[in-house]
Amino acid sequence: MKAYSITHRLIATILLLELLAALSISGAALVYERHVRFRSFDVMLRGRADSLLGAVQDAEDAQDNVMLDGTEVNLPGEDIYQVQDAGGRILGHSANWTGPSTDLLTAKTGKMQRVSVRGKHYRALRIEGLRIVDPGDKGGGIPRRVTIFYGAPVDHVWGEIWEAVGFYAVTSLSLLAISGLLIFWLLNRGLAPLRELAAEASGVSVDSWNFVPPPRARMIKELAPLTVALETVLAGLEHSFLQQRRFVSDAAHELKTAVAVLKSSLQLVTLKQRTAIEYERGIERSQLDCQRMEETVAKMLTLARVEANSIPAAGATDLSEAIRQVSQQFESMAELKRLQVLVLAEGPVMVDIEPEQLQLLCGNLLLNALQHSPAGSAIRAVVQQDGTQAELAIEDDGEGIAAQDLPHVFDRFYRGDPSRSRNTGGTGLGLAICKAIASRWQGTIDIASDLGVGTKVMVRFPVSTLPSASIKVAVRN
Amino acid sequence: MRVLVVEDEVRLAENVASALREGPNFAVDCAEDGLTGLHLAENRCYDLIILDLMLPGMDGPALLKKVRSHGDRTPVLILTARSEASSIIALLNAGADDYLTKPFDLGELIARAKALIRRGKGVADPILRLSDLQVNTVEQSVRRAGKLVDLSPTEYRILEYLIHRPRVIVSKRELLEHLYDYNWEHHSNVIEAHISNLRRKLEAATQQPSIETLRGRGYRLLMGFEDSR
Repeated sequence: MKAYSITHRLIATILLLELLAALSISGAALVYERHVRFRSFDVMLRGRADSLLGAVQDAEDAQDNVMLDGTEVNLPGEDIYQVQDAGGRILGHSANWTGPSTDLLTAKTGKMQRVSVRGKHYRALRIEGLRIVDPGDKGGGIPRRVTIFYGAPVDHVWGEIWEAVGFYAVTSLSLLAISGLLIFWLLNRGLAPLRELAAEASGVSVDSWNFVPPPRARMIKELAPLTVALETVLAGLEHSFLQQRRFVSDAAHELKTAVAVLKSSLQLVTLKQRTAIEYERGIERSQLDCQRMEETVAKMLTLARVEANSIPAAGATDLSEAIRQVSQQFESMAELKRLQVLVLAEGPVMVDIEPEQLQLLCGNLLLNALQHSPAGSAIRAVVQQDGTQAELAIEDDGEGIAAQDLPHVFDRFYRGDPSRSRNTGGTGLGLAICKAIASRWQGTIDIASDLGVGTKVMVRFPVSTLPSASIKVAVRN
Repeated sequence: MRVLVVEDEVRLAENVASALREGPNFAVDCAEDGLTGLHLAENRCYDLIILDLMLPGMDGPALLKKVRSHGDRTPVLILTARSEASSIIALLNAGADDYLTKPFDLGELIARAKALIRRGKGVADPILRLSDLQVNTVEQSVRRAGKLVDLSPTEYRILEYLIHRPRVIVSKRELLEHLYDYNWEHHSNVIEAHISNLRRKLEAATQQPSIETLRGRGYRLLMGFEDSR
């Protein structure tokens, strides 16, 4: 689509409409003026023809004929006329006319006809008149019928009509020009807040998210929704952009460190001549470093996937079943550490979470508890339904988390107590993944901890209103 | 020489420590968080501090500022995963002496560590000379009057420390502090035994006295008193 300007289109539309109006006014003026002026012209023409009848006199001859006394009438020189009697004898005619055409001869009496003489246009009529020759005191006399053809040129009338139409046309065209300029100015003024808003919005970039809409933009009814939408979108974009940037920077830092570990492990082996056992041990350690790097990368990808919100809901999943399954998976590990995992989950508690992510969440929380519990202690996992809230609480009697670390435990790559990271080989991503999963499915995650007493993680989700995924499968089968 | 490594990535700290122990024969202590690092650094028995930036407890730059604000002149080598010029400039301006970006080369780390220690002691040449005594810190070899003297690692460490401080009496305590890390069980008579061996080996070449024992005060190299320096 070609780029265009709303201002220009509006102005063009309005000017076009105005032009149409001007043309209509001029046309109407033409019709009206023509009607009015020709009516008065016709009255005048009849009057002149009648006055010509008055100039027909008794010829005072033997046959009692009539004659035209040219001295009695005062007619414009450009008019044409001819007077004849009933016998067709021409009593007189104007010098510039040789006689009426057949149109005029046959036309109805008094009807206006168009006549062309020597290239000049006339409007002409025929009237019949009666002149009484020698009228006596008691009536009588000889009646003589005369026919008068009379015409006057129309170019004057047309000139007057065109003048009037021209006046209307010029007036409306100049009004059009003035209103065009006025509209242009007003539109420009009226669109200024939009331009200001656009200028402000164009100043936004990945390096500068600062967007302060001009105060006028908020006050304008048409612009307010756009302003608010822009603000909301930009705030959202900035947030996610900064989050992504931080994630990339954190990930780069973490990977560089992981590579640094691996590289230093390998270089240490080759630093000097060593025994075969030393080499073997060096390679084993390097492999462990590799494995840790792999875990970090895998977890980063998991986190990115959860945060991308790309996995759609698959229906309701049973939270109780998920925690039971996960605790079974960790059974051997718990036994090895002489730990007991108590699952208190009576009846299904359905939540709208993608099953794999729910397993991941439960798994991460349980693993954390297992890793930080002293041998011989118990871990309690409790699932409850409180009205429309599903709750999962995982509690351990482990070493706990220091108060200053507690607000940061869900941050990516945060490792509070260094001994935690050393003991567990943690990537600092486990709880960040839990938090991301909770947020993704409209849930919350909270942590409470007392140093040396234990830690309790509470996860809450809205109870599902969807049919369970397993039931749907059963129906399909 | 004794080095403090403050790094929360335990495996990296272990590797750096091993490399510094095996290569240039340094004593190395490790700290995994900023507060422990600061606590150790405040003992001022280190010849070099290797400092990571992102640390729990107290981060690298804060630790560095604290150390410098106490007037500590120990060279500081920064390990950072960030390579932007701005953060490096800020660190150097905060009192760091050098930096390495992760992942780094262990060989380069060792070379920089040695150079920083040398500079910290006011020496530019990696080959230290004092009268007829010559200590090559790159090869870790010692010559007296041109003849190679074969020393054990500990003897070499003692001699390297002493030659960095010519004409100065170095106490037994100072030697212990700068040559051994915290994991080592302190037995002060071990130093006496090593000094006696060192003296014997150095004097075997020229029959000239080498190390003077000042009872209750410490040890001093006898070389360097004869010339006008």
